[in-house]
Amino acid sequence: MAVRAAFENSNEVGVFSTLTNSYALVAVGASENFYSVFEAELQDVIPITHCTIAGTRIVGRLTAGNKKGLLVPTSTTDQELQHLRNSIPDTVKIQRIEERLSALGNVICANDHVALVHPDLERESEEIIADVLGVEVFRQTIADNVLTGSYMALSNQGGIVHPKTSIQDQDELSSLLQVPLVAGSVNRGSPVVGAGMVVNDWMAVTGLDTTATELSVVESVFKLGEGMGPGAINTTNKETMVESFY
Amino acid sequence: MRIETCYFCSQPVYPSKGITFVRNDAKMFRFCRSKCHKNFKMKRNPRKLAWTKAFRRAHGKEMTVDSTLAFAQRRNIPVRYNRDLVATTLQAMQRVSEIRARRERQFYKNRMKGNKEKQLEADRKLVAENQHLLPPQYRDQVEEVLQEVEAQTNEMDLEENELEEEDLDVLEEEKLEEQKVKKGKNKVVQKKKQRLVRGKGVEEMDVDG
Repeated sequence: MAVRAAFENSNEVGVFSTLTNSYALVAVGASENFYSVFEAELQDVIPITHCTIAGTRIVGRLTAGNKKGLLVPTSTTDQELQHLRNSIPDTVKIQRIEERLSALGNVICANDHVALVHPDLERESEEIIADVLGVEVFRQTIADNVLTGSYMALSNQGGIVHPKTSIQDQDELSSLLQVPLVAGSVNRGSPVVGAGMVVNDWMAVTGLDTTATELSVVESVFKLGEGMGPGAINTTNKETMVESFY
Repeated sequence: MRIETCYFCSQPVYPSKGITFVRNDAKMFRFCRSKCHKNFKMKRNPRKLAWTKAFRRAHGKEMTVDSTLAFAQRRNIPVRYNRDLVATTLQAMQRVSEIRARRERQFYKNRMKGNKEKQLEADRKLVAENQHLLPPQYRDQVEEVLQEVEAQTNEMDLEENELEEEDLDVLEEEKLEEQKVKKGKNKVVQKKKQRLVRGKGVEEMDVDG
């Protein structure tokens, strides 16, 4: 199920929320509308938590997580860390990373098996990521952009990368991740797919401006709709793919 | 809300106090007051300034390796709230601080042990080496007193010290003399002076004019 939502008139839902297979983090907003979108889909399935990181609402860009773990930056206060621990299931490991690049959501792109990280990330951080998230870590760039987390939305079913990623890069990344990838955009042509949407294995939330075509690409590559097989991307939606930009 | 410690002097920095400097590699430096901040800007090394904790630790003036010091640390992995855990932690905090206070007292005592003896030894040496500064009638009295004490204990006679007069409050006068020496008031110009060597008695000694 792919839904559209906006956080206080902003399309960049990936900035204000984190969604994984075992929990969801949502920023504290003036209204509960954004939270309600998540609640409508995920209530009684996974815990949804209101939170802040370092006193800010950009929780999606500052945190990185998957089913097994959650990483928060060094600027996170003790109280916020404790709040997260108390509201997220015990099976999820939470750890604060002493890393210079503190926007972990921008530099880490992870599903439950693999993580693509910024090439300049510290060695210790890489080990912590592998440890806490239980993933294989690869230093990668996406369409020559170092911010892997911003330019890629990834789940265990598939992934969307920056619209200008070359076919060779897509093939390389796809073989690394072992999931189908497609170059695409969200929010009426925005290339920052990681920041423009959040996704887990059964749900995606994109910005309110996302077009029907973009949404159908999202649904097909993440296999969110009914009866969407892996082959459907290459047949039914092929002409709508942003690959056709080339 | 977190009570940080000052980067320079390790004093606790409470919220709203002090100043924070963030270097362009994102390292944070917190300072408890302008004194610390200014010293940092002057690129002074806190390990070389005696008023900082860093100096005291580096120079063995405080405990550095102790299990009680490991409790106060920034932890990156949180633990789920548990009322019992909080209660026991609060108790433990008190207990740990008691233990640390006791260990610190012990550490201080150990550090100061032997200072009195050393000082006394140094004073004796000073007097012994500077006998020539004393007026003649008081010279060798230190030695004499020591010998008297020995004599009393060993019941030996003191025939060899017939040169000197008997003096009852030797020590008091000796102190007075010492004070005078310190003030530098009684500088006596001598061609020759006597030097007392412990265990050998008095030697004559030439002084260069």
